[in-house]
Amino acid sequence: MNLQVIGCSHHQSNVEVREQLAFTEHQVLPFLQLFRKRFPQSEAVLLSTCNRTELYAAAQKPDLIPSQQEMIEFLANERGLSISDINANLFAHSDRDAIEHLFSVAASLDSMVVGETQILSQVKRAYQLAVESNETIPLTHQVFQSAIRVARRVSNETNIHSNRVSVPSIAICVLAKQIFERLDNKKILIVGAGEMAEETLNYVRSEGGKDIWITNRTRSKAEELASKFNGQVSRWENLQHELATADLIVSTTGATEPVITGAMFDEVEKTRNQKPVFFLDLAIPRDVEAEIGERLNVYLYTLDDLQKECEKNRNSRQSQYPKAIKIIDQETDSFFAEVRRRSSGSTIVQLRQQADQAKTAELTRLMNRLDGLSDPHRAEIEQSFNRLVNKILHPPLKSLQDDSVNESSGLLDALKKLFQLGD
Amino acid sequence: MDWLYKISTTCFAASYLVVFVAEVSRVFFQAAIRKYIRVGFAAAGLFAHTIYLFWQGKLELDATGIWLSSWSGWSLAAAWVLAMAYFWISLRQSKSVIGLFLLPVVLILIGVGVRLDGVGTFTVGRVKSIWNMVHGSTLLLGTAIVALGFVFGVVYLIQASRLKRKIVASKLFRLPSLEWLQRWSEVSLIASTLLLGGGLISGIALNLVNQAANHEVSTGTIAWSDPVVWSSGVLFFWLLAAALFNVFYRPARQGRKVAYLVMTSFLFLVLELGIVWWVGHAVDDPVSDIAKATVVDSSAMKIQLVERPLTEVRS
Repeated sequence: MNLQVIGCSHHQSNVEVREQLAFTEHQVLPFLQLFRKRFPQSEAVLLSTCNRTELYAAAQKPDLIPSQQEMIEFLANERGLSISDINANLFAHSDRDAIEHLFSVAASLDSMVVGETQILSQVKRAYQLAVESNETIPLTHQVFQSAIRVARRVSNETNIHSNRVSVPSIAICVLAKQIFERLDNKKILIVGAGEMAEETLNYVRSEGGKDIWITNRTRSKAEELASKFNGQVSRWENLQHELATADLIVSTTGATEPVITGAMFDEVEKTRNQKPVFFLDLAIPRDVEAEIGERLNVYLYTLDDLQKECEKNRNSRQSQYPKAIKIIDQETDSFFAEVRRRSSGSTIVQLRQQADQAKTAELTRLMNRLDGLSDPHRAEIEQSFNRLVNKILHPPLKSLQDDSVNESSGLLDALKKLFQLGD
Repeated sequence: MDWLYKISTTCFAASYLVVFVAEVSRVFFQAAIRKYIRVGFAAAGLFAHTIYLFWQGKLELDATGIWLSSWSGWSLAAAWVLAMAYFWISLRQSKSVIGLFLLPVVLILIGVGVRLDGVGTFTVGRVKSIWNMVHGSTLLLGTAIVALGFVFGVVYLIQASRLKRKIVASKLFRLPSLEWLQRWSEVSLIASTLLLGGGLISGIALNLVNQAANHEVSTGTIAWSDPVVWSSGVLFFWLLAAALFNVFYRPARQGRKVAYLVMTSFLFLVLELGIVWWVGHAVDDPVSDIAKATVVDSSAMKIQLVERPLTEVRS
């Protein structure tokens, strides 16, 4: 197994470089096809997310795989960049380091937010695209299937994914679910149309929220956000009316004064019939007057209330990191043990075939000379030959099997040379 | 299949106790296998409980002419209804620890059932009619559902209080959502009103049938002065008022008010059961029953020995 990876990630590259090296899904297939044209004996997988672009290459023999420099050149050319522009921002790993790196990436140990779950589906998608571009990729198949399995093991055996670490995810996926059984029949009002609103809406949609209303002082921004999430836009002047009917209200404006005041909510309360409402005030300074949170069936959470929980969860994830790293180490070891076992397996098969061929040739020659031999005698001789071959092969094959669990492949190489066996 | 006759209250009480311990342990640590332990033991407990009630009920039927005609059988049957509810909830809301609140009620009812073993049966020597069955079963179901509503109400208040105090639930102590608790509190309020109303009406009908059969002077009248009758009436009218309040006054449907309504209903129910117990309503003296009820053979009366394996009774 010969594996190389080159690429960039949030660890060593700034966002400008990552943007230049990033691929959309439509660009991945043509890129992989060009790669195959250029390096026909090599398999390739391209993983491109907002935080990383990584090119993996694998080949059966060391002389068939492109060098790291060749891979960097190819990537730079395809992106229309000069090598000197990007070289300092790239990393490169080979063989064991490359496997360890991929396992860490898939298990989300290398992510910007350790434990985020999206990366595993991105790794799976990268592998699927590689299969679409080239149906026969046995080496990368083995590597990526192992990576997916390792990621699942880390997920099952550690709590690294278990606690959410972003404010909107805790607010929507944890808190809102404690108030509402489901979001698909709830009216969700977003006040403001900034980045935080967008991030929150991602979670609202993932939890099934459909009836989304967005209101913003600048209507065009509200319309832009509404079109992204299939929501509806309400006029800023209608805020009070929307408050009276909404179940979940997320406020993220940049206003310097509260936009939802106690006096305004007095009017709203008259028509709400004490229906529970979840206020999520993600603005700084705050958008919702604190006294509203004291009212009956109103649950008001501010950024401060949620930050504490985020911090607690981040620390909890960090505490799981060593356990996850240990799993990656174990899995890398067992991956290479498996590779060696498979490799020695093919050598054993070749050795047996070679011995069988020699035995059959000698047996045929002998039988031709001993004409008139009865069938029981022929069978006896044939059995003797078989036993002889097995007795001769047993000690070296046993030693080879025992050796395959160790990292050195000296015995395997020696055997290949001694018996003139191929790879 | 002889082992089926050997099932005793200890079998299912122990199963529920294991489930309860598993529920308590959820508050302290995570373990993937615990889910299977909870569901497995709850299913095993329910199976044993069902078989036990079946045989117990059959023996009581042979003895008195109606199913589960004793305080003991009645408590065990109410525990069975709540255990079924727990099983359903543990499948629907598998991540929540509502069993912490529901299972103690189940265990208490089983304890009451065992404690009241030997107390006289309800209707030995009385006229047997369909009203006995309707009266007993509606009151039994209504009582179990009021108790269930009480648990939902308590859990609602805990959850609402946590959310108000901005305590983000830990993974170890999850409760159902407020919306879910509110919906099922409402359902239990309306269902218990209908069932206990049915119990009251069938009880009146039963009295009238008894009066007619015994040629009593008071035939055709309702004994409102009887503490059981008036307290049942008060309980029913409270439940009816609460249910109507809930249906027609929209703010009452929201949040804590439903929780308060179901919890008050439970207190009324406890009061009512206390009165029923105190006046010895519908319970015959076992000794005189044996003397006067020729249909009851002496071996059938042994059903009151709850802890005794049913095989002994059959033999």
